[in-house]
Amino acid sequence: MNAAAEGPRILPYSRVVGQAELKLALELNHVVPRIGGVLMAGTRGTAKSTLVRAFALMVHGELPVTLPINATDDRVLGGWDLDALIKGETRPQPGLLEDAHTRGLLYIDEVNLLDDHLVNIILDVVSTGVLSVQREGLATAKQLSFGLVGTMNPEEGGLRPQLLDRFGLMVTAGQLGAEDRHRMIRTVLDFEEHLGGSDETGWLADAERDTAALRDRLERARQNVPGVRVPDDVLRLCAEAATRVDAVGQRGEIVATLAARALAALEGADRVEPGHLLRVLPMALRHRRPETAHGGTFGWGPEDQDRVADLFPAP
Amino acid sequence: MTTASPHGDDARSGGPPDLARRLAHALACAAAEPALSGVLLFDLDPRLVRTVADLFTLLLTGEEQPAAVPFTLGSESRDEDLWTRSRLIREADGLAFRTEPGPLVHGDGRPGPPPLAVVPDLGRLSVAGMRAAVQLLSADVAVVERTGLRLAARPRTRWLAACRSQDAGRLSPHLLDRFALRLPVAGLRLPPLETLLHPDALPAAWRAAALHGVPATRVTDDTLTRVSDLLGPEAGARRQLALARLARTVAALEGERTAVPRHADTAARLIGLAAPERRPADPSSGPEEAAPPPAPPDATAGDGGRTFADGRRDRARRPARTGEPLFEPEPAEGLGPASGGAPNGPATPFPEDETDAVRDFAPLRSPWQRRTGASSARGPVIGTRRARDLRDIAHVRTVREAALHQRVRRTERFTVVPVDLHSNIRAGTPERLLVLVLDHTCRGDDWDWQESLSPFLGWAYTERAAAHVVEVGGAHAADELRAESFAARSLLDPRLMPALYRPAGRATPLAHGIDLAVQGLRRAFRQHGAGLAEAWLVVVTDGRGNVPLRASRTGRLTAEVGVTGVEDALTAAAGLGAMDRTRLHAAVVDAAREPYGDLPFALADALGGQVVPGRAPRRTAGGEGR
Repeated sequence: MNAAAEGPRILPYSRVVGQAELKLALELNHVVPRIGGVLMAGTRGTAKSTLVRAFALMVHGELPVTLPINATDDRVLGGWDLDALIKGETRPQPGLLEDAHTRGLLYIDEVNLLDDHLVNIILDVVSTGVLSVQREGLATAKQLSFGLVGTMNPEEGGLRPQLLDRFGLMVTAGQLGAEDRHRMIRTVLDFEEHLGGSDETGWLADAERDTAALRDRLERARQNVPGVRVPDDVLRLCAEAATRVDAVGQRGEIVATLAARALAALEGADRVEPGHLLRVLPMALRHRRPETAHGGTFGWGPEDQDRVADLFPAP
Repeated sequence: MTTASPHGDDARSGGPPDLARRLAHALACAAAEPALSGVLLFDLDPRLVRTVADLFTLLLTGEEQPAAVPFTLGSESRDEDLWTRSRLIREADGLAFRTEPGPLVHGDGRPGPPPLAVVPDLGRLSVAGMRAAVQLLSADVAVVERTGLRLAARPRTRWLAACRSQDAGRLSPHLLDRFALRLPVAGLRLPPLETLLHPDALPAAWRAAALHGVPATRVTDDTLTRVSDLLGPEAGARRQLALARLARTVAALEGERTAVPRHADTAARLIGLAAPERRPADPSSGPEEAAPPPAPPDATAGDGGRTFADGRRDRARRPARTGEPLFEPEPAEGLGPASGGAPNGPATPFPEDETDAVRDFAPLRSPWQRRTGASSARGPVIGTRRARDLRDIAHVRTVREAALHQRVRRTERFTVVPVDLHSNIRAGTPERLLVLVLDHTCRGDDWDWQESLSPFLGWAYTERAAAHVVEVGGAHAADELRAESFAARSLLDPRLMPALYRPAGRATPLAHGIDLAVQGLRRAFRQHGAGLAEAWLVVVTDGRGNVPLRASRTGRLTAEVGVTGVEDALTAAAGLGAMDRTRLHAAVVDAAREPYGDLPFALADALGGQVVPGRAPRRTAGGEGR
């Protein structure tokens, strides 16, 4: 059965306080979907899930396709609509992976708690690009492509390196300072107050207007991406930086280039500058360093920055 | 522990005691405000769980409606019990089968009073239950994607959980943080419900608000500053938001349209949090301040507000200053089961900050184990197969199979025949476990302990047992005062071999190592229900621990060690005594070091196990010093 959804009460994206890096990663991924998704790691209460849902509401007008950690495999792969079957009708029910293909994104909350057999299914599909289902009277094979967006609290364990590598960008959520925290709580309470009462002061309308402006900016950047040139020297810089941090595999360089291009488009530039690349390097490479891929820290500290800093001209 | 009834009689005092009154007030807030849906009570007398659940249910449903039976979660709760419910429904043309939202989500997106989920002991909740709590509590949206059911709605279920404060440190902070309303209720005595619900104790307006919700209420900036002061700079954003929402709800229950700092104080008092002294500039202090309970003469509060009524906060590190005690310890109020009502636990809503217990390893992840015996009936479902018996039938799969053949069968009604029956395939749950405690400082250069360990390793390999390895005194330990551990699916884990031959460090935190092992075993037996068929604890040591348990937990060695390291190891070992000894065996492999060659025997006695000869003893005139 399908139960009706009660309207979500998600803080508007334009009103989420702080977490600039998380927001930037989501925006870059939207501008250039080939980046392949975003992994957000952060301690509890850092608005990771809120941000993802608010972002999906902003750009798609609906909640993201969500894979809960306890989903059953038939819901992930697809199967038959049970209610229809009992009535004697055969009506296929698409799985979450197909839904994600349609809407471009699969969101996994608490991705590090996902059961191993589901991780295997997802890895199979994202690495081959083919969803092949041969069971329960179904025999289908479909080409699928979608970005993965995951949130996790590293206190609860890590991710398998294969899955980690499938997230194009990785960002870590920081704790807010006292002033930002005050603003954050103020904002959440204001939001709840206006939702519960009449929006006489126009708080919700203002937030919606700001969110719409952000959405327009993202859509403009998305349209402008094809016109943004990537000079060869930026590509060389990217390759050298990836070598310096011992990035595992080549996906890191590719993603870093795509993300730098998206950032240039967002900022209205017509070519990628080294500064664009420098800003997105931590997102593209932090989870592809050998120490992180095998369960170490996700942090990108000053020593990581020092390893690549001399490649880039001083600002 | 006393056996006096926790159900108090209020006839002499004329009303419920303060702690009970505060509990009722807090539950009314949780009922009225969906953002406060998780209530966690620390050190609640187990005999009171039912009564408190009844009180919460009455607040949620009102007395006019028939009270729904709260749903209870425990160590046996599985995903399929929590998220979906299979129903057979009689229809005009026979029986129909339907999958409906399970007990945790059946109230979502529907009118009517929200359901109540009760967790009598959070420390023993199954992994599936804990994962459900993490997904639903404080969440904007609950998403269910299970066979036959898709659901995305705002969670409405209220949770009432109880937990011993000493267990709080073991649990995932990620889980604890989801409970917005936490109260220490050690020594609580509850009068009859009618007394608690009497308008003198719980105003009619509060009960109405609990049923119908509260109107939109403004929270002033001063109140947020006050909340921040009360919780201190180290508090996470969730705690601040929860206290601010509680203050807002308290104000709304009082009929106010704006929450001011005194409402934050009342909220802090409700959850048993002490407050620092109010800043003189704060205009809301003064006459409008609700009278706090009388202060004990020695009551202190620390800086930054992160102190609690019992003054347990680390005074050595922080300068103490006079505070405004908002929560009265039980002795002065005459509450509690014991004469005088001595509290049984620390009176703080955040005991995990204070505790020195060691956290479970990845407590929210499904356990991964392999097995050789009959298929398990308790692991997560990972598929279905044609049934070989009637156990663990996969209902949905069975009906689906039957549906495929209905036309061929040409029966008037929907018919399920034996060939349709399918049962679940489940991931393995822990069946056998080898816990190895390796004291690297006892091995020396003259002994290869693998020979002594090989019978145990052989057993673990052939039985496909999981391994939990605790290393004591390794040279490269992150902190030499602490033992380190890891859990492995099997002996083939690449981390195992290096662990067997790690060079020795300087310290021997044996007590901590034993403690980690006992906790690992306890968790394996407790939270995975009857899944564990057999476990071996094998300790290789000479018994000469030289780091007290407290030093391992705090990371600071502050006093002379003496024999404390050894005694703590024996005490930690005694913790194994209460466990199921028909399924748990223990052995100490004797390193035969002198002096104190009898220590391994003492340890084996404490563990209730046997001593296995390890290194051949070699006695020298002066003994072997370390």
